[in-house]
Amino acid sequence: MLSSEEIIRTIEMLKNENLDVRTVTLGISLRDCVSSKAEELCSKIRAKIKRVAGEMVAVCDRISDKYGIPIVNKRLAVTPIAAVAEGLDRGEYITVARTLDQVAGEVGVNFIGGYSALVQKGFTTGDRNLIATLPAVLSSTAHICASVNVASTQAGINMDAVSLMGQAIKEISIATAEQDGFGCAKLVVFANMPEDNPFMAGAYLGYGEPEAVINVGVSGPGVVKRELERALQSGTKLTLGDLSEIIKKTSFRVTRVGELIAREVAELLGVSFGIVDLSLAPTPTVGDSVGEIIQCLGLTAIGVPGSTAALALLNDAVKKGGAFASSSVGGLSGAFIPVSEDLNLSEAVANGSLSLEKLEAMTAVCSVGLDMIAIPGDVDAGTIAAIIADEMAIGVFNHKTTAVRLIPVPGKGVGDKAVFGGLFGEAHIVEVRNVACSHAFVGFGGRIPAPITSIRN
Amino acid sequence: MSPLPTAIAEAYGFLRGRILKSSEQREWLSVSVMGYDRPGIVAAVAKVLFDNSCNIEALSQTVLMGQFAMIVVVAPLAGSSAGTLQAGLETLAAQMKLAIHMRTLNPTEHQAFDVGNAEPFVITVRGEDRPGLVLAITTILAEQGVNITCLGAEVVPVDQRLDYIQIYEVDIPNDMDFSRIQKALREKGAAIGVTVDMQHRNIFRAINQI
Repeated sequence: MLSSEEIIRTIEMLKNENLDVRTVTLGISLRDCVSSKAEELCSKIRAKIKRVAGEMVAVCDRISDKYGIPIVNKRLAVTPIAAVAEGLDRGEYITVARTLDQVAGEVGVNFIGGYSALVQKGFTTGDRNLIATLPAVLSSTAHICASVNVASTQAGINMDAVSLMGQAIKEISIATAEQDGFGCAKLVVFANMPEDNPFMAGAYLGYGEPEAVINVGVSGPGVVKRELERALQSGTKLTLGDLSEIIKKTSFRVTRVGELIAREVAELLGVSFGIVDLSLAPTPTVGDSVGEIIQCLGLTAIGVPGSTAALALLNDAVKKGGAFASSSVGGLSGAFIPVSEDLNLSEAVANGSLSLEKLEAMTAVCSVGLDMIAIPGDVDAGTIAAIIADEMAIGVFNHKTTAVRLIPVPGKGVGDKAVFGGLFGEAHIVEVRNVACSHAFVGFGGRIPAPITSIRN
Repeated sequence: MSPLPTAIAEAYGFLRGRILKSSEQREWLSVSVMGYDRPGIVAAVAKVLFDNSCNIEALSQTVLMGQFAMIVVVAPLAGSSAGTLQAGLETLAAQMKLAIHMRTLNPTEHQAFDVGNAEPFVITVRGEDRPGLVLAITTILAEQGVNITCLGAEVVPVDQRLDYIQIYEVDIPNDMDFSRIQKALREKGAAIGVTVDMQHRNIFRAINQI
């Protein structure tokens, strides 16, 4: 039975607490489009995306109206292009990317993920072609998001790939220097990359996924923060256990919303429903910040001692509530700490509370990694590769997903600010200490073997 | 505000089966009771009904600002006399200072208004209390042919402030464009200075219920 309190509470969550669905992402397999002729491949890709996703935005808008829940982003994820375009020449990869970019714009989504390669154990020719074309593609397209999986718990860390990604990030940064290296914001380097992640820039459709599938990312941190504030203002004496319980219940609610919307969109589009991703994804809006939740938990700023423990509590409570709400949980499912996309994190960098090393420590207990971090433009590729290697090690050896999305900002250094705009926000540049001290380590190349804990059978 | 009797509406499908079956046999009666709320009203009414060989088929009761209100649908069993029942209820009304009304229901009145295939929506109206708010909203619903299944209005505390809130549960026929009604309600709300939202009922269930 609905009570008036429940109705009023729900309306409050919608109106004043930023309860929304962060992303509805339609995964589309392009495996049946494969051709050794670029023109034919592009034509098949265009036809398939138009056919499967043509109505997606309209359907999402209708469902959004019906339930009064904003769906903030509508996106596509496709089969890794390194595999789809495997038979093509390197230059033709760019043609494929432009086709994807164009058709994404035509169906009205803001991003299409899947300009991707999985190279944790080694490269195919197609993988190398894709990585080599990242600077050209990410500097000349509007909607394409790219990701490269360089490590996994089963395979270890492909350090040759890590080096290549360090170089690619530098080249993309230079190619998009006029936008403060914004091209790097559309590239994620992963360990244990999930096949069903709906969030950009790391979304792609994995090889084990169905023909077409809807995956959904739930609402952001604003709702959790407001619930915590409400409880704290009530004057009741609360322990961290009580606060964890509040987060858990809120996570349950937002997950239920996500699943309701996702199932209905999937049904109307005639495709499978995949997963609900429980990640708390912040936006550069006041009141929608993971950093502000950490402050609610009694810390003056994210990054001060206690932050890793607070983030662990938050992440765990979100998962528990979400897992109870839905039996189809997947993707990244953890609290994000993307520095430029979270106003509070960005400010914590500016006032010195938050360092790169603390961010790295926090990624051991949350999702997803060193995310949207602007670094000085003069940090070299070898140092970037070493930072990637550290982050990959956290993922590989702890059986979790980690990722790196670093943005070297050409011509800027610590104390400057990079401005990306929109959802990507703006970022104070984070200091990178001990630059150019890791070249010999990275230069060994080869593979860091998989950890002993990967042998579980 | 008391809970909205959604569950009662949901039980309707089950009840309707019973009602239709029983209604083939005989006419039923509706008894409505109003008055100042205090202990013993339901028991007193039930005693009169029992003494007059009536079986209670469905009952709904609420209290609004101290005012008791109840509607009972009863099936008279063999040996029951409408005249004796009427007299018993009139005596009770006089004794307890209640307004009691009894009415015979013909078989077609046993069934709820049939909207056909419809989806349940919840309309909420929030803002400063003033005359004419219910009129403004319900006029639009009436014009569009939307049936209200439940309605409540009350001043409630939300965080640090008081809000006047109306909550309508309505059935929107599937062949009707809900966005057109949404638009009409929002425009009317904006014109009279209140916020009007209309959302499918499932969103409230998803958020609040396991």
